[in-house]
Amino acid sequence: MKNIMLWARRYVTIYGIIMLCTFFMCLLFNPTSELPVVSYFGRIMVFTLLSLLSMVVYYSRDELTPKGWWLRTALHALLLETMLLPLAHRWGFWHSGPDIIIYAAFILLAKALWHLVDYGISARTAAQINQRIRENRLEKRN
Amino acid sequence: MEQIDREREEELIVRCHDPGAAWVQGVQEAVSGQQTVCGWREDEMHRLKLSEIFYFEVVDERAFVYTQADVFEAKEKLYEFERLCAGSALFRCSKSMILNADRIDYVRPSLSGRFEAVLSNGEKVIVSRKYVAELKRMLGV
Repeated sequence: MKNIMLWARRYVTIYGIIMLCTFFMCLLFNPTSELPVVSYFGRIMVFTLLSLLSMVVYYSRDELTPKGWWLRTALHALLLETMLLPLAHRWGFWHSGPDIIIYAAFILLAKALWHLVDYGISARTAAQINQRIRENRLEKRN
Repeated sequence: MEQIDREREEELIVRCHDPGAAWVQGVQEAVSGQQTVCGWREDEMHRLKLSEIFYFEVVDERAFVYTQADVFEAKEKLYEFERLCAGSALFRCSKSMILNADRIDYVRPSLSGRFEAVLSNGEKVIVSRKYVAELKRMLGV
């Protein structure tokens, strides 16, 4: 159950990040574009699902070393570009020339945002734990 | 003492005027700290209290027990050691390590989503996100 909740939360977070990136991409590069709302939301759901599935590259039987984590992060970025760029082209999210560079950059931006959100959640958890450790220490002292 | 059904969770509640009282400490020690495990160093066997263990780690299928400044080899497998320290301050913190929560000075987040725990002897170990929930539960967060 915990795992289902974790993956559901990840799905919603990634979906939100992709939506946010799309908003800024359209705002900056194509402010007059009109999106077919129903199919657009459906396609973003597919992108989100693919992004989640691609996280399988982080799977390891042993604990990942920091170097191993960075290596897999680079591999994951590459995998995301390889999967999402052709699909986005097929669905008309980008057409040619500089479009592909902008779209690829936004995929990387979305990935960076994901890690930042994740880091923020971890920082909040760490702060709660440290607070509790301090309180326990004070209790023991008194 | 109350005998309960198997469905209910077992618990020990100590109601006292002074948590520092000798008899309360005695109960705490009986529950966790005084339990010992064997550690081996240069063919000598040492009895180690769970409370003095910083962490237990498996490296290349060999198990080691780390205390404040010493390292001992252990015969137990990770799951055996985990079973041994059930109810104590030691908890599984990663795929290959069991850590003493009482020895954590502070934790800090990392970009990889894991946590780095800095221990009271200055050593740093990794706490996986998967197991951080157990640490939170133990600390009452």
